[in-house]
Amino acid sequence: MEVADRLRLTASPGPGIPPAFEALFRREYARVVAIAHRVVADADEAEDVAQDVFVSFYRKHPADAHYAAPWLYAAAAHSALNVLRSRERRGTRDAVEAIRRDAQTPDPAQAAETAETRSEVRAALARLPDRSAALLALRYSGLSYEEIAAALGLRQSSIGTLLRRAEDAFRREVTT
Amino acid sequence: MSDIEDMLSVTEPKVDTERALARLRARVEGEHIAPVTRSGSAPRRIGVNIWLRGLAAAATVALVATLLTVSGLAETILTIFEPKLLVAVPITVTDLNGAASFGAYGTLTWTEQPKPYDVPDVRTAAHDSGMTVLVPGNLPAGVGAPHYGVMNKTTATYTFSADKTRQAAAALQRTPPPMPANIDGSKLFITGGPAVVAYYSDSTNTTGATGATGASPFAGMPTLIVAQGRPPVVQSDGVTVEQLQSYLLAQPGISPQLAAQIRAIKDPSSTLPVPIPVDMATSKKVTVQGVEGIFVGDSTGLGSAVIWQKDGIVYGVAGTLTEQQVLAVANSLH
Repeated sequence: MEVADRLRLTASPGPGIPPAFEALFRREYARVVAIAHRVVADADEAEDVAQDVFVSFYRKHPADAHYAAPWLYAAAAHSALNVLRSRERRGTRDAVEAIRRDAQTPDPAQAAETAETRSEVRAALARLPDRSAALLALRYSGLSYEEIAAALGLRQSSIGTLLRRAEDAFRREVTT
Repeated sequence: MSDIEDMLSVTEPKVDTERALARLRARVEGEHIAPVTRSGSAPRRIGVNIWLRGLAAAATVALVATLLTVSGLAETILTIFEPKLLVAVPITVTDLNGAASFGAYGTLTWTEQPKPYDVPDVRTAAHDSGMTVLVPGNLPAGVGAPHYGVMNKTTATYTFSADKTRQAAAALQRTPPPMPANIDGSKLFITGGPAVVAYYSDSTNTTGATGATGASPFAGMPTLIVAQGRPPVVQSDGVTVEQLQSYLLAQPGISPQLAAQIRAIKDPSSTLPVPIPVDMATSKKVTVQGVEGIFVGDSTGLGSAVIWQKDGIVYGVAGTLTEQQVLAVANSLH
């Protein structure tokens, strides 16, 4: 197969989203948002991440690709982590403010405290190596070891060990 | 609820999928984004696995040179062989584009597919690969901790077909020389690996290394890769490497210069050509670990690699490093 053949992706010339992509979107959107939300702790930002992830997939991959779901999960985790790190770089106030919007509680003092705690936890998550942070995001969004292995291109039998290490590293980051 | 589950807890978001789909539809139509309807080949595994990127980079230093020349040229010429020597063979973009693909001459059937996977540490890498995995005693400043990956031993059978060759040539409006009768239907049995790749990222880079939607094509590229593997071995059920070489070098699209370089290899059955894209890289012989190796530098001076073979194992060290740094890492492997 020629290089061009290997790399060529045939784009459809017509407008409109193909039915297969719409079906994929309806099937996976909520889960993709949930993964992003677990990382950024802000529903609006999580939906923005999900939109970007689906557009990115739409541009580059066929909707009926067998790897669609794990690709979307991994992309959601990594993109959300990028958003989180970008937010952390902008400063603590930005981070707390973003999360405060999400802390749905009628008591302003409690909301502020919840936001502060979540912000510190997310700052710790942002400091972790990318793979460790993604592992935690996917696992605590409810993905099985098999789904995580498929999403991150890891061997399923390694997930337990890698997850324990990621959890230990995360605890250390939170307490520092 | 575990402590971490508690820490990462969030209020479950209320999602309106139809509204989100409408938003996406508006964006797609507004920005005239076209969907992909099919891919030209089997998709790359998920595209976010940092180790696979490392493996791809390792391939560029020709750890498995037969897979590097995407035209399939080296694969077809380096048939019946068990390499003991490495020789740099300059190739041009014209060579790559001009040569027919390996698939044009027959059918490749995997009996054991290559399935690269991550392992948690060097001990597991050594256990899974059955090799003693060498580690650097000396790392340049700024290079972080390694991730390890293992490529299993892979085997495949390639069956030559005169019919398929004719059809492929006709599709390209080319007229190839007829395939000799003793090649038509003959089989090659190809074994590659196992291999181990250690991928070191930049310890100062805290941005997402594998962001699937990241804008930079270089995001996540490793600072340093150390790879080792058993070289490919090819056996044949009858045809000789000389017969194949003679036939394949007479194909349209093979430049006379490239054919001359390949023919100049004294013992093609035990020489692994390392293709050097002349437009993008330069190469020279160096001594590494007490044996002769090939140093490859890209034309920009931003990347370097060294590849050598010792005690039946091919080693490669590559990275966004200087020649001195790459050689220092290579010589520190123990």
